[in-house]
Amino acid sequence: MARLVDRNKLSFLLPGLLFLCAVYAAPMVYSIGVTLVRWIMIRPDLGIRFVGLHNYSVVLRAVYTWLSVGRTLVFVVGAVGLELVLGVAIALFLNRNFFGARFLQSIMLIPFMMAPIVVGFAWRFLVNNETGPLPNLLSSVGLGAIVNPPLLANPRLALPVLAVVDVWQFTPFVMLVVLAGLKALPTEPFEAARADGATRYQTFFRVTLPLLKPAILVAVVIRTLTALRLFDTVFIMTGGGPGNSTEVLSFYVYRLAFETYDMGKAGTVGIIALLIAMLLTLLYIRTIGVEKQ
Amino acid sequence: MKRNALYLTLILPAAVFVMTSTALYASGEPESSNSAPAVVRLVSERGSHTEAWKSLMAAFQEKSGIKLELTQYPYANYFNQLMLSFTSGKSEFDVPYISLLWYPALAKAGYIQPVNELVDQEPGLKSDMPGLSTAVMDGKYYMVPYMNEVGGVVYRADLFNDPKEKQAFRAKYGYDLAPPTNLKSYRDIAEFFYRPPNLYGVTLMGRKSIFLATHFTNRLWAEGGTVLDASMHPAFNSAVGVEAVNEVKDMFRFASPASRTYDFQEALNEFSQGKSAMVEVWTTSMFYFNDEKSSKVAGNAAFVGFPRPAGQENAMRPRLFISWGFSVSAKAQNKTAALDWIKYATEDNNFASAAPIGTIPTRLSALKNPKLIAELPWIPAFREALATCVPTPIAPLIPEGPTIIGQYIATAVSQVITGSASAEEALNGAAAETDRLLKEHGYY
Repeated sequence: MARLVDRNKLSFLLPGLLFLCAVYAAPMVYSIGVTLVRWIMIRPDLGIRFVGLHNYSVVLRAVYTWLSVGRTLVFVVGAVGLELVLGVAIALFLNRNFFGARFLQSIMLIPFMMAPIVVGFAWRFLVNNETGPLPNLLSSVGLGAIVNPPLLANPRLALPVLAVVDVWQFTPFVMLVVLAGLKALPTEPFEAARADGATRYQTFFRVTLPLLKPAILVAVVIRTLTALRLFDTVFIMTGGGPGNSTEVLSFYVYRLAFETYDMGKAGTVGIIALLIAMLLTLLYIRTIGVEKQ
Repeated sequence: MKRNALYLTLILPAAVFVMTSTALYASGEPESSNSAPAVVRLVSERGSHTEAWKSLMAAFQEKSGIKLELTQYPYANYFNQLMLSFTSGKSEFDVPYISLLWYPALAKAGYIQPVNELVDQEPGLKSDMPGLSTAVMDGKYYMVPYMNEVGGVVYRADLFNDPKEKQAFRAKYGYDLAPPTNLKSYRDIAEFFYRPPNLYGVTLMGRKSIFLATHFTNRLWAEGGTVLDASMHPAFNSAVGVEAVNEVKDMFRFASPASRTYDFQEALNEFSQGKSAMVEVWTTSMFYFNDEKSSKVAGNAAFVGFPRPAGQENAMRPRLFISWGFSVSAKAQNKTAALDWIKYATEDNNFASAAPIGTIPTRLSALKNPKLIAELPWIPAFREALATCVPTPIAPLIPEGPTIIGQYIATAVSQVITGSASAEEALNGAAAETDRLLKEHGYY
């Protein structure tokens, strides 16, 4: 009887397991396999040759890899950090249920609903020195020096501009998740805090923020993972330039795969990006992880 | 019941077979594949020169009875799509319309086959079609050029012919204002017309891309330099290369600040809106500039080949040569039909009739066609620029060529013009990358 139950359990699990294998495990095994070969797509005459960990050795020793890792981390920390601060602030503001709050909430979601390619083109136009309103606005208030050289041609400012674009597009997402968290908060802790004479500042930092941890964690993890994959806006707005100043990891993978056609090294950098994403996620869970209620 | 089932099993398929056969016979459908018309499957990007030869497809199909099927991709992902279809072994294309830069990779991989039959059929073709000489690998022709153009400068003829401007220029520089024939006059003219914010001296393409790299290679070649030497080692980081990249940086002083972020299309837009006196591009841009619907300078744009250093104006030096043409897939099902189409599209008269739609004929004989010259008055200037140079592809004709130019050199030039590295540092870095790549790929 027990064996029959076990067999039934297995038969119920099997389709799901097979599906997971097909969707997750097989592509992952293939991707790892690609990192172990030399495969130059534009040179099929060289063949596909097993090289062991050679690609890892080359990629990890390349200065470009570490520079693009550095740029990616700077971008992720800057953009996601700002999105978190702004997202929480806007969510707290919209949680006051004033007249028009729902309308404002809907309007604020528009950037988040736009395709990143469209966002890239729109911002490329906005910051264009000849036709864009932003440089003209900055010049009219005496800040013309910021846009000379143009923002996207300035190696020091191009990456921060991409971060601003990211903040513009994805702050509404953080706001939405945090707002959902705020709406679901119990009222009792706030009533208790009020009864104890806590100030608004104390209530926010001692009650609201700790209770919001699960929502914040979800928003930060999702945003970090998507920010690590930043590609479209870089492709449209800067092409990785000026110089290599906006060449983040995903763009570096693209460059190796579809400009150099070195699939082995592109796959290797992809795996490194995956490991970084996993490490950051673990780090978040450990530092702002949620205690069991 | 059993008997009924037997009847159904036997009679129903027989009835379906009879009905289908009758219907096919009545509709005149071919009975076997032998009598089906030959089909040639073309693949191309979405561009003006494709539009030009597309205009010939209907007439060819009517004349030859060969059916043409065309698949088009946006330029941005066309090569990737083509490569993926070939590498997956699922390519169903007979005639890929490709860039000159791509055929070395496709030929080396065995994805396209030689088209020597076509060249052998017409003895005068080699001399009439100069671009053919750039499509040879190991003595075999892999591509028949359909569109070609050379790098140069497009200038505002109305400004250059304005008596007041001429007088002012002469007073300032001591010689006559004329289309730039040497690098010094090119710089002087750019400086002369630099009147921001209404008019800029020249439009350049400063965004990191293969377009930016062309500003460097234009000057490198004009000064007598080369990208790779005979032993395939990088040679662009020579003293001539350093001078060339510094010259590019210097020219940006006379361009609009926004020029530093421009790609090809944005450069075309700036010049066509009358915001600059010159633009450093290549010949097909003339179609855009002379389009009255989108260009404010239509009728006033003129072309001249890229200038040489002062005193060497008549030296036979390389000039940027861009070409697209027809190739034949190694797995083409009907090579004869494919070659028939290519031959038809590149016939003298067909070239002349299709060219105004958006191509520049690759046959010298077609470039002399009076009707064509009447429609495109800049054709003689193009012919002159082509005849007085060594046509040199935008990138070395090896599979790694586009990577060297579009990645390593473009990055180096971008670093120099934005001040993130000195000319020597940036070019030496690019040379080291090139050296490493070619070594890894077995060139030495």
